Amino acid sequence: MQLEGRRIFFRYPNASAEVFSDLYFRIPGPGFHALFGPSGVGKTTLAKMLTGAIKGFDGEIAANGVRRVLYTYNLERLPGWSNVRAHFEEIAPSAGRRSMDELIETFGIEASLTSRFHRLSLGQQNRANLIRYLLQDFDLLIMDESLANVDELTREKIILKVKAMFPERCFLYISHNVAEVAKFCSQVLVLRSQSRTPQLASVQGYDHKEGAASDPGRLERAMLEIVHAA
Amino acid sequence: MLHRRVYQFFIIYFLGLGLLLALKYGLSLSDYVIPSPAEIWRTGRSYAGHYLLAVLNTLAVAILGHILSICLATAVAIIGRLTAWIGSFIRTAAFNIQAYPIVAVAPIIFILLGDGLASRLLIAAMICYFPLLLSFIGVFSEPVREIEHFYESTGRMTWRLQVKIRAFENIQKLTTVIVGSATMAMVGTIVAEFIAATAGIGYSIRIALYQSDLGKILVALFLIGVGTSLYLVSLEWIGNALQARLKSI
Repeated sequence: MQLEGRRIFFRYPNASAEVFSDLYFRIPGPGFHALFGPSGVGKTTLAKMLTGAIKGFDGEIAANGVRRVLYTYNLERLPGWSNVRAHFEEIAPSAGRRSMDELIETFGIEASLTSRFHRLSLGQQNRANLIRYLLQDFDLLIMDESLANVDELTREKIILKVKAMFPERCFLYISHNVAEVAKFCSQVLVLRSQSRTPQLASVQGYDHKEGAASDPGRLERAMLEIVHAA
Repeated sequence: MLHRRVYQFFIIYFLGLGLLLALKYGLSLSDYVIPSPAEIWRTGRSYAGHYLLAVLNTLAVAILGHILSICLATAVAIIGRLTAWIGSFIRTAAFNIQAYPIVAVAPIIFILLGDGLASRLLIAAMICYFPLLLSFIGVFSEPVREIEHFYESTGRMTWRLQVKIRAFENIQKLTTVIVGSATMAMVGTIVAEFIAATAGIGYSIRIALYQSDLGKILVALFLIGVGTSLYLVSLEWIGNALQARLKSI
């Protein structure tokens, strides 16, 4: 599984400035990767290009072994006519049902299952939304600020669990939290403003896994590299 | 809710009646032009039963016409949401057709369908159909992206699900429009009856007008107001119950 974008040029219709100018990126394979960068540089635009929602750009995105790409963002809502559990049961494919209870427990939303979505806190809403995507069949899941409003400890628990449960799948985590992407992500794609060349720098993350011993020195180096690249 | 609607109507009705009586006594108009309160009371006692049946007849036609227009507006709006072109065409057509005063179109309907139930029903439906259609097209054409995104990206979206999501998210707006258009259904039916029908309270008002009997007209207006208020209260109650049920756990 590999995803590679070459010589990508893109400008929104009627916009004066280009979003991407000769962009190159490569996601080497399965794992938990990150797309990092300041607001407005085109992270969501690139994510939508990967899903095929944005077409009509110059250049090429080659997807080897990436059959199904899903994109989720933090403002999504579940429909209000049923509670969270009923919704999960409705949308979970039979293959994903086994993972459902495990994810619910790790994500800490057992108590919210009988409630409707609008009754949940923002953090609970984002966790419930992410669970339903994890239950689907996908090769690449793009998580655009999907864990916003979730406390740090729970976020860490969730990311480690996702990495342990789906080692053969690819994740692209869009976040503004440098410490988080440095610690948990394997490859960090740092997207920069259009004036900088190259527009995207690739940094090796610390890629911390559940139960692995920590190496503060290596983590610090990864963080510094990301900050420098940005 | 019921008492609020009814007493609001009483305030408006008796203010209007007071204004008429002030005109009568201020300008020394004869009982032939504006009857005295005693005469209005006598007319009310004599004709209330007969007019009540006529109002119920009108109300039944208005409710049928209203239901018909809700069904039609829902169906057309669902079709209209399929593509931007169809939606835009239906919206423009609706704007153009509703620009014609119903009184101008009504004679054609009476010539083609006669002065029976069909004409009254059609005119009642037409007068409340276009405002309903414009609102329904707006609701059903507007994507609820933050809910629909999941179903679209996982290939689960069907037209039924899309309509369900959009209707559910806009239930309050839809209820308000339906309640608002109920008044228009009643008005449409009365107008149809007034122009050419042979039944209903509009027809009774036409007869009273030929007899220059303002007392009968005032009694008819009172009963129309009470009937319409009761219908609106029923619709509001149904709408509130539906919303409460959908939002409860």
